[in-house]
Amino acid sequence: MSYLECNDLKRTHRHFTLDLSFAMDKGELLCIIGPSGSGKSTLLSLIAGIDDTERGSIILDGEDITRTSIQKRRIGMVFQDFSLFPTMNVEQNIQYGMKNKTPEEKQKKTEELLELVGLKDYAKRKVLELSGGEAQRIALARAIAAEPRILLLDEPLSALDAPLRKRLREELRNIHCRTGLTMIYVTHDREEAFAIADRIMILRSGHIQAIGRSEELYNNPQSLFVANFTGEGSTLKMPRNQNIDEDSIAFIRPEDIIILPKGTEETNADSISLDAEVSGSEYNGSFYTVTLQTEYGEIRATSARRPEDDQVMLSIPKGKIKYLK
Amino acid sequence: MKKDDSYYIRHALPALAVTVIVFLLPVASVLLKARNIGRTITDPYTWRLLGFTVLESGLSALLSVVIALPFCIFFSRYTFRLRKAMLTISDAAFALPAILAALGFVIYYGNNGILNNILKSLTNGKASLKVLYSFKAIILAHVYLNFPVAFSLITTALSNMPDTEEKASRLLGASEVRTFFRITLPKAMGSIISAFTLIFLFCFPSFLIVMSLGGNPRFFTMEAEIYKRTYTDVDPSSSASLAVFSFAVMALLLLATGYGREDKKAQRARHKLKPLAGNKKAVAIILCILIILFMAPPMLSILYRAFFNRDGDFTLKAWSGIINRANSGAGTSLDAIINSIAIATISATVATVMATRISMAAVRNRLNFLSLLSSLPMAVGSVSMGLGFAFLAARIPLYNKAVSFLLVLLAHIVVIMPFAIRTILPGARHIPVRLPLAAKTLGAKPNEIYRRIEYPMLRSYRRRAFAFAFALSLGEVNATLALGEGRITTIPVLIYKLINQYNYQGASALAVVLLTIAIVMFAIGEKEEKQ
Repeated sequence: MSYLECNDLKRTHRHFTLDLSFAMDKGELLCIIGPSGSGKSTLLSLIAGIDDTERGSIILDGEDITRTSIQKRRIGMVFQDFSLFPTMNVEQNIQYGMKNKTPEEKQKKTEELLELVGLKDYAKRKVLELSGGEAQRIALARAIAAEPRILLLDEPLSALDAPLRKRLREELRNIHCRTGLTMIYVTHDREEAFAIADRIMILRSGHIQAIGRSEELYNNPQSLFVANFTGEGSTLKMPRNQNIDEDSIAFIRPEDIIILPKGTEETNADSISLDAEVSGSEYNGSFYTVTLQTEYGEIRATSARRPEDDQVMLSIPKGKIKYLK
Repeated sequence: MKKDDSYYIRHALPALAVTVIVFLLPVASVLLKARNIGRTITDPYTWRLLGFTVLESGLSALLSVVIALPFCIFFSRYTFRLRKAMLTISDAAFALPAILAALGFVIYYGNNGILNNILKSLTNGKASLKVLYSFKAIILAHVYLNFPVAFSLITTALSNMPDTEEKASRLLGASEVRTFFRITLPKAMGSIISAFTLIFLFCFPSFLIVMSLGGNPRFFTMEAEIYKRTYTDVDPSSSASLAVFSFAVMALLLLATGYGREDKKAQRARHKLKPLAGNKKAVAIILCILIILFMAPPMLSILYRAFFNRDGDFTLKAWSGIINRANSGAGTSLDAIINSIAIATISATVATVMATRISMAAVRNRLNFLSLLSSLPMAVGSVSMGLGFAFLAARIPLYNKAVSFLLVLLAHIVVIMPFAIRTILPGARHIPVRLPLAAKTLGAKPNEIYRRIEYPMLRSYRRRAFAFAFALSLGEVNATLALGEGRITTIPVLIYKLINQYNYQGASALAVVLLTIAIVMFAIGEKEEKQ
């Protein structure tokens, strides 16, 4: 039996209806990604008890918590805007959710948590004096202090700048490994999800499009939406040799295309060749992104060098072409 | 959202009940007394009164806004040392009791007042100004009281507007003047109209200024006429009918102007104020001097008259009068001071406590009508309100000083409640919805969330609301006077009586006391948080 089971949850909103089921194991870090308005935050609200599901059930650790009040669910939550209590200092914030502990135990636990989030001497600091990164670390410590059965993180890093985001997500992954906490992490940043998740759930208009390990989703997307959402790629109206499905479209990742000088003899029987004309190339630091025109449409490929000639030949391994809908 | 939040509405219920009852009781007793509403409506005199009241408040509001506008434009563009001081003084004027303006005007602008004495000594007795006891005196006093309101509101609104459109307009080649009329003025129109509306609503039930500076029933507003019919004509039925009519008009005005509806949007980036340079410095100095020349003399005159008699000789007679409890028959000065402080303390405390609960319920339970409900007392002029309490008192068999005191207290609470709620409500809105949610996920119960997070976060708002409510109660004279002709004497009521007895020195000494307490309260309210 899974640690968290969401069965047949439903919540109707004006623009979309959340309607899904999923389960996760203890100690897992599940990332939920999806465009804005896909229901990511709604799902967290349902699990946390901030919002009520219209039907279905939520089972946590064998206990049905569908109708349990927020306070009694013991589910931690970290918000995008930190939501620290401004009238309390760091220590008071962290101790706010601690239950059944002597003052000494609280003190000790606070010190441990501050150490865990790398802010050892911050206990007496005022909340309003913290930087964004510090505030989010304290929010995390506060949530963990309440000893939640599961920790929900609602775009916790999106209010921070890019370098800090990168550092904090590594720390977050470390904290996850050290505490073994079950976590659900909502983000709209695919790179962030790939970096920290055990598994990723892709949501669209309230429905699960795919759920699985990042490599699976990237390499074997089950739909065009998932393919596009997990990374770059070109879509071509390229006919398939046999079993042609009229509606399906060829999807190719840019790194799977090899750009060769025009007229190169194709030796690999597992690849197909295409004539193409270079229509643009962008320099991205370690590589170029080249835009090419083919008889099936526009295609983007990455290359270590800028093509010397406008007329080139493309070689694409057949196994890397996905026919998707 | 979950129904768990019923906590707020449950805890606001007692406050709501008290507010509604305390408001409805006097209104109901006025309604019960009003037996000839039909005759009042058909009486041409009623409509003449209404016309005059509209004219008087419209003109006052228009002049206040028009005069303030150039100041607002300058003060919202440039920053200089006196800027903040000027704006703070204008904020303080929000709570300046009308009685002080009335007294200051009598002493300064009076026919034998300080201004005329100065003019006469400068021109060997030839030049003199006749300001007092006229329509223009009423308007001037209204502008005196409300110019700071317009100045402060519009300047703040203009300063908080981003100026990207102005920059774009200048980049597209428009002149500064064209940019002002095509871009800035249209953007500022909302705040100008709302300042006009607010001042109009303040002046509409004007009573004290009309009584003390008009000096002629020709200039009576509806509130003044209601008072006259009650206590001079002793015709409570006809005054109650007029009060009902006035109530209906005010309610319509409130609905029409949308006052009480909230229009505050999230504040966007404000523009940067420019430092002064070149001849702009001279402009700033001239503008500040103009404000000071307009605002300061009446108040300084009060201070002067508290220590000097008419012939300019120093005397402490008025002050020993306060200490020796020797004053006119209507109770002594010391009693008035004690009454005033007691009533203001109690009513401001009660109003702040109730306003906090009501504001939290309005925000958490999304009950916008609560804020509308809370501004309902504004629809009833405070004279009518006092009158309602007076009618109520007449129905109480055991009528003694304690009951009288209690009724005055209740009247004050009704009058100051809207302002207390209006001060706290933005604070309640300011608390992010996520904070209580975060606390709930940490296992906190509603009561704990309120006590440990929300209540402390409202601290500065509560303090400001208390100070504001206290100052308003301290300066309240209409309801207190209308309620049994001031059987409970407060400082402003006594000042009013002393003005009518031409005892300006005694009035001035008391006014200095009143002003001092008001300034101290204002300072408490504006104290910066140590965060």
